[in-house]
Amino acid sequence: MAAAPASPPDPNETDRLRAFAKYSGLAFQMLAILGLCTWGGLKLDEYFHNDQPWYTISLMVFGLVAATYQVIRSLSRNE
Amino acid sequence: MKRLLIALFCILSLPVFANEPVATQAEATDKEAFSPSEMILHHIGDSHEWHFATLGDEEHGTHFTIPLPVIAYQPTKGLSVFSSSNLAHGEAYNGLKLEHEHLVAEDGSKVYDFSITKNVASLLLSAVILLLVFTAVARGYRKNHGKAPKGVQSFFEPIITFIRDEVAKKSIGPKYERYMPYLLTIFFFIWFNNLLGLMPGAANLTGNIAVTMTLALMTLVITLASSNKNYWAHIFATPGVPKPLLLIMIPVELIGVVVKPFSLMIRLFANITAGHIVVLSFISLIFIFQSIYISPVTLAFGLFINVLELLVAILQAYIFTLLTAMYIGGAVEDHHDADFQMGGGDGAEPAHAH
Repeated sequence: MAAAPASPPDPNETDRLRAFAKYSGLAFQMLAILGLCTWGGLKLDEYFHNDQPWYTISLMVFGLVAATYQVIRSLSRNE
Repeated sequence: MKRLLIALFCILSLPVFANEPVATQAEATDKEAFSPSEMILHHIGDSHEWHFATLGDEEHGTHFTIPLPVIAYQPTKGLSVFSSSNLAHGEAYNGLKLEHEHLVAEDGSKVYDFSITKNVASLLLSAVILLLVFTAVARGYRKNHGKAPKGVQSFFEPIITFIRDEVAKKSIGPKYERYMPYLLTIFFFIWFNNLLGLMPGAANLTGNIAVTMTLALMTLVITLASSNKNYWAHIFATPGVPKPLLLIMIPVELIGVVVKPFSLMIRLFANITAGHIVVLSFISLIFIFQSIYISPVTLAFGLFINVLELLVAILQAYIFTLLTAMYIGGAVEDHHDADFQMGGGDGAEPAHAH
């Protein structure tokens, strides 16, 4: 329980923790966008009985663009 | 050591996808065979009774179990409330039975299950603990007003001020005060429940996706409710983007709104569940090898991961709170740094014409 947050905050240490949380959060966000898009695409293809998984493919590409855009946006906004 | 810890956090952060427990051929034919996946899924899942331990074998041994109330609503029959001990060993009661911890009607009709399950009981217990601890802290502030903190108060004061100064003030800015109650509540709720989940025989509350989804939904609602026009302007009319491109940008921005809380949900669920699975896997190794000589190694590893989980418990609570504060901060921000150093934004310096 004697983790870093409980001790008196050292500005350098908390900034590192902050960065760790922020950047690993970005990774999870990418994962979530891609996962949601792929899942949605699979569901749509199933619903429309497509021969080729066009919804899955296009939504995955869209997810990739969206995930990259979100990462670039969060990185270029200086806090 | 620090690098190693960070690497371990990253590994423990990998998402885990729990499969529905399906009885394999071996389990169906041989009751004695030890199935680690069944044991682990039973431990991380919810159940209608609170099982602590079993002395002796499954059939003849003594079970230390607390039966919990089952509250079922059937559109045809109405409400029925009874103890879960009536449903033990797959028995049917009142036309209801348990199938893989799902309450189903024998005639196949719809059942709405509002039971006080292990997770619900654990949630209520943690609510009581949180209330007791924080009323004590609040009493301390009333009694020692203007003086140094005492007792529990002095343990929690640095944590509370840490959340205020390092999380809320830095992420939200001048309007942070309105969000302090929510941020402190989720921080301590997640932390306490992570720690409670590590106790032997306890429920895996924060590793339940329904719980983390509720927390993430609250974050989403609070973010949207406190959003200002800058936030929406950035979504529907992203500055510096040509009109035709908005057709693509609006969905991209909208998916960002939903995905942020969604990633919070996945992260907390995956981290806590993964930690439990790793500890249980190490312990299962003893039974897989069926040898006592393997136990020092697996117990040492299990203990190590368990201690690491103590750290993960506070770290995940911190990350959830910090990211929530960041999302709220993004929604209440007065001025967006929209020009990305390319000039032309309303905050940009006037052009020097010489």
